[in-house]
Amino acid sequence: MKTFLGKRAISSAISLVGLIVLVFFLSRLTGDPANLYLPVDASLESRERFREINGLNDPLILQFFRYVGDLVQFDFGMSVRRSEPALDAVLRAFVWTLELAAITMTLVAVLAIVVGSLAAFRVGGVFDRIATFFSLIGASAPDFWIAIVAIVIFSVGLGWVPTSGTGTVWHWILPIAVLFIRPFGLIVQVVRGSMITALSSAYVKTARAKGVKNRPIIFVHALRNAMLPVVTVIGDQAAALLNGAVVVETIFGFPGVGKLMIDSILQRDFAVVMAAIFVTAVAIFVMNILIDILYAVLDPRIRY
Amino acid sequence: MPLKPGRIFATVLATSLAGQALAQESVTVVLSEELENVEPCMASKSNIGRVILQNVSETLTELVPGSGLQPRLATSWEDMGGGTWRFHLREGVSFSDGTALDAADVVFSLERNKSDKFVCEIGAKYYGGFDLSTNVVDDVTVEITSDPAQPILPLLMSTLTVLPSETDTEAFVDQPIGTGPYTFDEYARGQHIKLSLRDDYWGETPTVASATYVFRSESAVRAAMVAAGEADIAPNIALQDATDPATDYSYPNSETVYMRVDNTAAPTDDVRVRQALNYAIDKEAFVGTILANGTLLSTGMTPPSTIGYNHDLAPYPYDPGKARSLLEEAAADGVPVDRELIVIGRLEQWANVTETMEALTAMWQEAGFNINLQMVETAEWYEYYNKPFAEGGPYIVGSMHDNANGDPVFSMFFKYASGGTQSGVSDPVLDDMIAAATAATGDERKKLWEDTFAYVFNDVVADVFLWHMVGFTRVNERLDFEPTIKTNSELQLAQIGFK
Repeated sequence: MKTFLGKRAISSAISLVGLIVLVFFLSRLTGDPANLYLPVDASLESRERFREINGLNDPLILQFFRYVGDLVQFDFGMSVRRSEPALDAVLRAFVWTLELAAITMTLVAVLAIVVGSLAAFRVGGVFDRIATFFSLIGASAPDFWIAIVAIVIFSVGLGWVPTSGTGTVWHWILPIAVLFIRPFGLIVQVVRGSMITALSSAYVKTARAKGVKNRPIIFVHALRNAMLPVVTVIGDQAAALLNGAVVVETIFGFPGVGKLMIDSILQRDFAVVMAAIFVTAVAIFVMNILIDILYAVLDPRIRY
Repeated sequence: MPLKPGRIFATVLATSLAGQALAQESVTVVLSEELENVEPCMASKSNIGRVILQNVSETLTELVPGSGLQPRLATSWEDMGGGTWRFHLREGVSFSDGTALDAADVVFSLERNKSDKFVCEIGAKYYGGFDLSTNVVDDVTVEITSDPAQPILPLLMSTLTVLPSETDTEAFVDQPIGTGPYTFDEYARGQHIKLSLRDDYWGETPTVASATYVFRSESAVRAAMVAAGEADIAPNIALQDATDPATDYSYPNSETVYMRVDNTAAPTDDVRVRQALNYAIDKEAFVGTILANGTLLSTGMTPPSTIGYNHDLAPYPYDPGKARSLLEEAAADGVPVDRELIVIGRLEQWANVTETMEALTAMWQEAGFNINLQMVETAEWYEYYNKPFAEGGPYIVGSMHDNANGDPVFSMFFKYASGGTQSGVSDPVLDDMIAAATAATGDERKKLWEDTFAYVFNDVVADVFLWHMVGFTRVNERLDFEPTIKTNSELQLAQIGFK
């Protein structure tokens, strides 16, 4: 296992270096930050001064080596627009995203596994039909539309929860509910399909023949064997959330890393872009390693 | 009484939501984007200005819609000749840190705008192209000299936010100190900004005791926050969200939409082609359809409330037949009218910008132009809009220009002088007219700007002027407040009352 983890860490580090090089040079191809930072009517002298102060007049390769030199000291540079260390801005936003993703994916995983398993137990039954109908709607519904409709109904109409923002536990309800719907629908379908296969396997028939009750058959014998593809999809969905739930963050005014990253790209705030990509990439690499470990826990045949 | 889950839930919910209810003397303003910083020398950016300008940081003079230039930190000013203006500062004014305002603070604030450690938007936007020097006469009198002379120096001082001379000169401030009626209390990044009323403000005590600013980029959410009672003012909501006549105000927002035409490259270097571009557009058809009712047809670069705006000019009528005949006439004289023109539109520059650009392009195609549309994002758009213009033109660049400062000088040099950063014109006569109007004062200034507007519109036919836009702000019914043209750049809490 240690060898495997070491190899995964090295391959992740190599990918990270490649990502940093790629993003550094590609982002610099997107235009001059002075044009976006300064007013349209700013003089050429002001633009020149801005470039000089921010080191943008140096050759690109020099800028890159300076960036790498700072990076090895864990200095991600200053945000040009926000006048604060880029890493501070990113970590502050990432904590919000991490909390949002963790709560949402925990709810999604627990409920989708229960609903998907029960739906698979009697394929074509009432529960299966209802679960399939709503999970398909959930998997295909656009976040943007659901979020706006939810605000209109539950905040403006009924006044049950705040429209947006942060501050109390009630502020989390709508963002989590909206984020929940799509991965829940998707994972219910995956659990259902995987469980149908598992429940028709020989060891389940044997268990039934031995008089094992339904609950242990579903949640002990079949579920554990059906979990591998489910874990893969949960990991994939969680990675998407760690990258930032841009739509939800934008609509609900949630100060997460997705919106920060998009804003920074549009504003050519290179230091923040680089720091955001670094932090989210590290988080996703760590999560992928955890998922690999979980595979081995779920299936003893998998050994690293 | 037995405990029931429903009752517990309702109690917790009511308790929690009660905490969010708006206090009588506080207001919540929901802005369209988070502030990048809270530096007073960046307050010409609209979202920073709405929090900082005249609330925390004040200026020497103040341009008041309908009243013209008014005293603020300076009680009076006089032209000393030779480009020098003397400003008499208000006595008994203190900053929120308790230090007294004096002439040295004004000098410091002016010099800080030209810092070599950072670039201030106010300095870059308003103080370029001339040198400013200062002379402290005494603690409450300061002379400011511009070279070359700027007759509108007092107007320029309506943009100068004054900071105490102890302010950091190496970096932007994150806890601004000003002379305004409010202290800057807290900026929780990504969440809110809080201001509260000072008890030692030099002026009349405002009604609003405290203000919270929150940030939501989605217009529908901003509007919903006011509807739900979570916010009091939501500036800059979209046309489709301004659905409640009781709370939604429309007002001229100082933005002018126009198409910048390159007058130096064929075929748009021919005046007949530029006239044809104007005649081919049915500007009225846009109003009330994809642009808001109340949008005005424009004949110049600045809002009609600007000094020297020429009210005698009439928009080009929609006459595609005349556009076609002008093109034929130009073609007969060898002008390459069949050369492809590219319309450059900037994504998200205003609501329905893509639809607007598509309709304009279709009208020009209908009139016989070989013209196509390219929508680009902001950074790329600047490559077309600012000099040196991108190769492969001529381009017709859609733009929206903001001038809430009351004087055309903030627009005309950049847009129409040969050396202007966004000017598609190179005309020595126009250069002289702009220079003369810039240097003039009083009625002469007004007359010279009127002449300049007429020359640009009738003789040069420099661009395709389209509309003076209107903005929408949703205001909670509990407030006694009506947005104005200045709401685009500032939001003075002292002007807000409660019903």
